[in-house]
Amino acid sequence: MIPSQQKLLPILLFVFLSIGMASADSEQLGGDFSLIDHNNASFQLHQLQGKLVLLSFGYTYCPDICPTELAKLAVVFDTLKDQTDRLQGLFISLDPSRDTPQVLRDYVGYFNSGIVGLTGSEAAVDQVARQYRVKYQRREHEGGGYTIDHSANLYLIDQTGSLAAVIPYGMPAEHIVDLLRGMLAGDG
Amino acid sequence: MTIPVACCTTGMVSILYLETVDNKLYRVPGWPRLGAFMVLRFILPLFVALIMVSMVAADTSKISINSAPGYGELTYQLPEIGSYQLPALGKAANGEVLIPSGERRMLHDLFSDKYVLLAFIYSTCSDVNGCPLTSHVFYKIKSAMKRDPQLANSLKLISLSFDPEIDTPSVMKLYSNNFRYAGSVGEWQFVTTASPQSLEPILKSYNQVILRKTDSKGRTQPGYSHVLRVFLIDPQNNIRNIYSVDFLHHDLIINDVKTIIQQAQQGSEKIGFTAVSQQTARLSKPGDNKHGYEQSSYVTDSLDLPLRKGQAADLLSIASDPPLGLPALPVPADNPLTKEKIELGRKLFYDRRLSLNDTFSCAMCHVPEQGFTNNELAMAVGIEGRSVRRNSPTVYNAAYQKLLFHDGREENLEQQVWGPLLAKNEMANPSVGFVLNKVRQIEDYSGLFQAAFDGKGVSMETLGKALASYQRTLVSADSPFDRWHYAGDTTAVSDSAKRGFALFTGKAGCVACHTVGQQSALFMDDQLHNTGIGYRESMGILPEKQSLTVAPGVTIDIDRAIIDQVGKKPATDVGRYEVTQNPHDRWKYKTPSLRNVALTAPYMHNGSISTLADVVDFYNQGGVPNELLDPRIRPLELTDQEKQDLVEFMQSLTGSNVDTLVADAFAAPVGDVGKGDPSWVHGSEVEVR
Repeated sequence: MIPSQQKLLPILLFVFLSIGMASADSEQLGGDFSLIDHNNASFQLHQLQGKLVLLSFGYTYCPDICPTELAKLAVVFDTLKDQTDRLQGLFISLDPSRDTPQVLRDYVGYFNSGIVGLTGSEAAVDQVARQYRVKYQRREHEGGGYTIDHSANLYLIDQTGSLAAVIPYGMPAEHIVDLLRGMLAGDG
Repeated sequence: MTIPVACCTTGMVSILYLETVDNKLYRVPGWPRLGAFMVLRFILPLFVALIMVSMVAADTSKISINSAPGYGELTYQLPEIGSYQLPALGKAANGEVLIPSGERRMLHDLFSDKYVLLAFIYSTCSDVNGCPLTSHVFYKIKSAMKRDPQLANSLKLISLSFDPEIDTPSVMKLYSNNFRYAGSVGEWQFVTTASPQSLEPILKSYNQVILRKTDSKGRTQPGYSHVLRVFLIDPQNNIRNIYSVDFLHHDLIINDVKTIIQQAQQGSEKIGFTAVSQQTARLSKPGDNKHGYEQSSYVTDSLDLPLRKGQAADLLSIASDPPLGLPALPVPADNPLTKEKIELGRKLFYDRRLSLNDTFSCAMCHVPEQGFTNNELAMAVGIEGRSVRRNSPTVYNAAYQKLLFHDGREENLEQQVWGPLLAKNEMANPSVGFVLNKVRQIEDYSGLFQAAFDGKGVSMETLGKALASYQRTLVSADSPFDRWHYAGDTTAVSDSAKRGFALFTGKAGCVACHTVGQQSALFMDDQLHNTGIGYRESMGILPEKQSLTVAPGVTIDIDRAIIDQVGKKPATDVGRYEVTQNPHDRWKYKTPSLRNVALTAPYMHNGSISTLADVVDFYNQGGVPNELLDPRIRPLELTDQEKQDLVEFMQSLTGSNVDTLVADAFAAPVGDVGKGDPSWVHGSEVEVR
């Protein structure tokens, strides 16, 4: 081993260890957050205390997953019409530069007028994504434009604001309905 | 009604399909990417409305999605439960995992003696046809488990994360919570590992290659590239099936699970075909005799070499006192049988080093458990896949043959052995000297020839005599027929076989060539006859199309023109004429003995007939007419019952000692190249296999 490599080794070790520490399971998943809703009003998760919250992440230019996921949510809320006051759907944009509150309001409105679209500064959105361990990355396209690769799980937040379950993308609407019904019933 | 559905792989625009009631698919260009939001605004309401319709009315409308079959209905019919086999594909590896509570567990303990479906997932996966597909399919299976208590009791679903850094036990717990409120029937467990280091051996043993995704500039992307695989594991930890994206479907998996449960309940009872049902010939099982191959339920019956149980026999005693139905053994005065010679000949018979390239022994065309012939090939195949133009004759009772080879060109076994040794499409040795020189240099033959032949070393004479001695001992009779016909045991054969023998000696006239004596029977006349088979081949009289079964249950008709294009033209074969040069001997071939005939398929000098029933049909129609056809061959006008009786009779000709001879063969050493052996490659050092 040549001397320069010997010097490099501790540095590399340090870097790897730091990465490892950062991603360790130290912090709690989920939790409260502050963003701006699609009516341009400030929004905190704790405002929804007492309700079951279904949280999804996406962006309005999303060509595929987001519309299907939101359509699925719309079916769920439609099926549970009688419980509307105990449920809330949220859609957080991972693309705040394009998804202004106005754009978001139009977009979620196509699916279900009860769902609230949320956006905010890049930093604020990124903070929420980290809290919920959502992975996303901009993918630039040749000839301009970009899409955003992102994970597509649904997050179920209970009446106290803590994360109760992660629903894998791919589970059908009937499962989500069953899950919500079960939680609402358990709640009394 | 038009039902559009979006679909994709990660982040990429892909194709949308619109399916209408007339079931036509219309391809629509991918969604606009940037700056096309205005368009989106106009079509989206319609689009969303239609999605809603399709979701709400899911039962009545078909969703066409450019995604894995697992999301939809199967487009093919599943085979009946229990009608197929799922042999073990290897052992499901163990490893240490973390359950949602954070406790350590061994994977095998989690299996808890159930049938297990194991999927590898990671929670930030966003490829629709990746991890979400397994969630979808597992959900469907779990739903089926709710409805089916047997399935619920015997099956368990496990999702194992391959991203331990993100998927901590608490994340796995959040997954499990899906079923705290939405049905606990049908166990589905989410587990992870403590670190990439503890995960790695598990991934490796399940052959799961996981790569970090990178973009074209080499930057790391979120997520992993991986090949989706779901493993079906039985309670003995055998992997029984592996599902990839195109096969991952809940209906198929449930069918498989029920099939292996049913077969486990039936114990070790095997499905499939039974080999030639000869109680006395249990070991004579052709690896793949292709019986029933036209059905998809076909299973191979091949025996692994290590599974063979050998048991050496006293061949000298057997040959000295041949079984009931055989005359005394003719032994040349200059080559009396001795234990040493027989043993030496046996060693040579199974020695691959006797061929040019050390690969091919006598036994590879005269396979002991296949009637000392080859049940799997119509015509033999020699070293390097070289075609031989005739069928391997059986070695059983070769001692009694006055003429050898189908054209009768040799007269004793001592000389005959050099035919296959030197034929360039069989064992391909370039010369007699080459063989002798090689055997002389192989250490494990050192002294054996001298001991067997009064001090004489390896020579053309001694090598021939040794091989002949072993083959001469392979005598087999005392068949049910012999016990009935020569020992008066009327219960030894069925009535049908008795009627068959009456036809054999009477109406059908077979006995004219397959002779039967007062005290013994060899079922051959040491003569050669023209049945028309050779004539037909020489004239190229072939059907326009030939059926070819390419896999169990898959048969296709192939035009002759195509076969001619790709196939090698068959070598000419005019039979006995090649030996005598007498035009009257064209297409004459030697009468084979019928002893053990049930074990020696396929039949005729070119193996062109597969079953005894077809042989009877061939003679019943009078062979193939030609100007030299043997006058004894004529249409027989047998009834179906009579044909069946003849087959039954021939099946009663299997000797009682075939298992003994086959087990003895299994006990023989298989000569293979070892250290110190001369190499066939340029005299270089031998590469030990």
